[in-house]
Amino acid sequence: MPIAHELEYARPETIEEALGLLEKHGSGARPLAGGTDVVPAMRDGNLTPEIVIDLKAIPGLAGFTCDAGLVRLGALTTFTDIIESAAVLEHAPLLHEMAVTVASLGVRNRATVAGNICSAVPSCDSGTILLVYDASVHVVGPGGERAIPIADWFTGPKRTALGEAEIVTSVTLPVPSDWHGGAYVKLGRYGGEDLAQASVAVLALSDGSCRVAFGAVAATPVRAPKIEALLGSADLTDALIEDAKKLVSEETSPIADIRASREYREHMLPVMLERGLRAAARRRAGGGPAYGTRHI
Amino acid sequence: MPELKYVGTSTTRIDGAEKVTGATRYVDDLDFGPDLLHAVVVESPYAHARITAIDKSAAEAVPGVVKVITGQDFPYRFGLYMKDRYVLALDRVRFVGEQVAAVIARDPKIAQRAAKLVEVTYEELPPILDQAASVCDGADLVHPGLYDYERVPWFFPKKDTNIAHWRKTRKGDVEKGFEEADVVLEDTYTVPRYAHCAIEPHVAVGLFDQSGRLTLWTASQSPHTQRNVFAETLAPLGLSHKDIRVISPLIGGGFGGKAGVTMEVLAAVFAIAVKGHPVKLRWTREQEFGNTYQRQGLHAELKMGATSDGTITAIEYTMHWDAGAYVEYGANVVNAVGLSATGPYRIPNVKIDSLCLYTNLPPGGPYRGFGYSEFHFGLESHINRLAAKLGIDPVEFRRKNAIVEGDTLAYGASMNPSGLIEAIDKAAEAVEWGKAHEPSGPGKVVGKGFSLMWKAPAMPPNAGSAAFLKFSEDGSINISVSGMEMGQGYLTAIAQIAAEVLSIPPEKIRVETPDTDRNAYEWQTVGSHVTWGCGNAVRDAAIEARDRMFDTVHRALGYEVDDLYLEDEKVKCRTAPEFELPLPGFVIYGIQMEDGTFRGGPVMGSGAFMPEFSSALSDPETSQGGHPNVHYTVGAAGTILEIDKQTGKMEILKTALAVDVGQAINPDLVKGQIVGGLLQGFATVLYEDMRFDEHGRLLNPNFTDYKIPTALDAPREVVPIIVETAQPDGPFGARGVGEHTMIPAAPMIANAVADALGVRLKSMPITAEKVALAVEAEKE
Repeated sequence: MPIAHELEYARPETIEEALGLLEKHGSGARPLAGGTDVVPAMRDGNLTPEIVIDLKAIPGLAGFTCDAGLVRLGALTTFTDIIESAAVLEHAPLLHEMAVTVASLGVRNRATVAGNICSAVPSCDSGTILLVYDASVHVVGPGGERAIPIADWFTGPKRTALGEAEIVTSVTLPVPSDWHGGAYVKLGRYGGEDLAQASVAVLALSDGSCRVAFGAVAATPVRAPKIEALLGSADLTDALIEDAKKLVSEETSPIADIRASREYREHMLPVMLERGLRAAARRRAGGGPAYGTRHI
Repeated sequence: MPELKYVGTSTTRIDGAEKVTGATRYVDDLDFGPDLLHAVVVESPYAHARITAIDKSAAEAVPGVVKVITGQDFPYRFGLYMKDRYVLALDRVRFVGEQVAAVIARDPKIAQRAAKLVEVTYEELPPILDQAASVCDGADLVHPGLYDYERVPWFFPKKDTNIAHWRKTRKGDVEKGFEEADVVLEDTYTVPRYAHCAIEPHVAVGLFDQSGRLTLWTASQSPHTQRNVFAETLAPLGLSHKDIRVISPLIGGGFGGKAGVTMEVLAAVFAIAVKGHPVKLRWTREQEFGNTYQRQGLHAELKMGATSDGTITAIEYTMHWDAGAYVEYGANVVNAVGLSATGPYRIPNVKIDSLCLYTNLPPGGPYRGFGYSEFHFGLESHINRLAAKLGIDPVEFRRKNAIVEGDTLAYGASMNPSGLIEAIDKAAEAVEWGKAHEPSGPGKVVGKGFSLMWKAPAMPPNAGSAAFLKFSEDGSINISVSGMEMGQGYLTAIAQIAAEVLSIPPEKIRVETPDTDRNAYEWQTVGSHVTWGCGNAVRDAAIEARDRMFDTVHRALGYEVDDLYLEDEKVKCRTAPEFELPLPGFVIYGIQMEDGTFRGGPVMGSGAFMPEFSSALSDPETSQGGHPNVHYTVGAAGTILEIDKQTGKMEILKTALAVDVGQAINPDLVKGQIVGGLLQGFATVLYEDMRFDEHGRLLNPNFTDYKIPTALDAPREVVPIIVETAQPDGPFGARGVGEHTMIPAAPMIANAVADALGVRLKSMPITAEKVALAVEAEKE
């Protein structure tokens, strides 16, 4: 089925030009990067912008850099870019582990991390990972540039802190420069591509502390401060993990939908947390399964 | 039987190269030029409502719109086995997504926009969304006119109810059978609706040319049946069979979803509405889910009894089918199950009730397995549970009661030759039945499951097949038949059958896809019957061509016909070893005589087949007296399943299916059916199902939330086992195998889960979620 409604298509070559179009058309404008969310929504008639602003010709938005200490993902960085980067695997391996679970090869070739968090569905794979890396979302608008901490980014299902006339230019991740481990545990309905029924991201740092985030079990992807506080920098003993699992229900509020019942999500989250913590700890210690291996 | 040269070998499929190189052109790829118009339908948002008004003026005013059509323009009913379906809804809509009106425009976008402007006023009625609501006292009638609908003589609707058909089969005395039993088990099993998910959506192009000729290009399993249904439906317009032509190029999968007629009738009437212009109607994936056929939901109550020595004494099986808004095809699924729900067992006392119920969900219809997958889920689950109660190994229990040749079927006819015992033994051996397997890690358990299966083609007793075959100068052959190649390898099997008779290598044979003007008749490519039925017709056509050649040789050269034979593309003679007549040249130009004249002429042959022993006439209260099924294909399957007890995730470590195909025409293609069918069956039990909300709206008409298997979901190892107990009336002993391979998958998984966890799940699908939550519930 074609996109039935009439729309303008613009392909600006500078940020300024793009911002000008955004300002001119207001809520009638829709920025487009990979298009893997925007185009199906237009095809289904759920999104009917008067103008689509294709960002792919803007030089400043392309490319990404990855060094010890900082990963900078230009807004046009695709999941395939991430998967194919040896530097990502070395410095931010959790980003790699997440990227390989996103949709299918064809979608990953087009879909961008920035687009993923702009769509901001509660199950978005990027969300939990950016949360545990304490990422910042860099945006530019009429008022100039600003950096939004990822913790403030998600404001509700499909809602973000991005202003109407703003666009995302990049996402930066201050990755630990010393050795660390991580795990992304994604629950799907079968072996093929799926949206997360639930997800858990764990980042195990060299000081012994862990960061934990959950996806698809609250209105937005969420960090788990109580669990993190409990874990502190202590050894991940069986008893401590059991105590952490008991806190899951305080950090999340899963619902029932077509992808899973509330009961199954509640049952699985502690299981996934345990598997994520153990895998991340083993990786921090230099062992564990290769990144990209499924945990469930 | 003489040694076979081409039949029984794994000839490379003849449509393979064109498909993998992308040369194949499907209906949507055909070019109809700049006159092509595009149609978009206006769909009902309600599951059940009266149409009180339709205002099409706004849509008609859109520039580029050629015509807006409503049900009043073509107020005709149609259907395959019962005429209960409307071309476009007339005064009432019966499911969400039903076609109410249509816009034909010069551009698909214009048609889509204008369709939104058609204003339909509805008066909502309470929808009937499941079997219980359909049969309850005082239920609203989905089809008040049901009893007067034209139908085949083997359907028995109940007046002033939603029961569109009730198949009753009675044999022996079930009460006595249960009294004789030492163990009786009774329980309920449920199976949801499923979608076919062929990769190619339905598409049809119609052209009613200025001469009054109606041509349809359809992605169909049933071109001749479509022509017949179109002719019946459009008879009021003065069209007859000779005026209608259906062309079906290769299709991208069918699985039953492209059998009969669904949306194609729309393309036919749209073409008539805009004479001279081709009109294309192409279903979206959402429509593919919501407005073709769906596999019907089943609520089944099953009671079985057995004596302590493991002999099954009685079965009582009551099945309520959610057949949807129109049952013109789906009622025959219900019928087929009502005749065969004993499964492949010898059971003296039988009471089967199979009820086809109207609901306000999308129309049910044929789906690979034709109801057999659904009833096997309960039956084969039950067999395991009965064996457990008796303290008998479930494979041994099956073996003891397995049906064999000559046993009396539930409806009184006799069982055909069958290698079921051999299949059971081979499948059990392949999965090392009885041997425990170590799980791969902590928290995991391994279980084994087993299941038998059987299935017969569900066809009218006079479903026919025909074939034409002609030689060209170089001795190559063109065969014209009308079965559909839909991935199963039919064209190749047909070529191999002709090759065997005529001693021509299959690569010198081209088999065409159907054009009803030119190709020989085929009823439909359904029921796993075409290799058998059409194969017989092709064999006969080849024999006719061969006999024509022998006659020419006899007349020209004097050799006796009985001494002649074909070998390596030559006519040879048993009594004259020096004689060799190469087929190239001769098959067109004949044989020159000493006086310079010629004998012979272009060699061709025709063949036809109908199962003349079949009859659908029987006592409606017992089903005794007829011979509705031509033969059953049987098989046995086993699986080794590993389960993560925490997550419920299941992995099939190994699975084996032994199936008695009579004679494998092409072993690799049979193995392809086994691997593919099992994968499709496993998907229906492990994660697929259609979900509807309380308004009858389909919640997952997409692959985001309706999951079909990927390569990652394939079993780690599949062992295809071919058993060959010849079918006497099949071509070279072959019988059908296409659908059967998915039938044992679901109960086999249920049985493996029970074996591993001690938990019995009686409702499909058996998802990881259900397994994990069942394990948790057991703990409490």
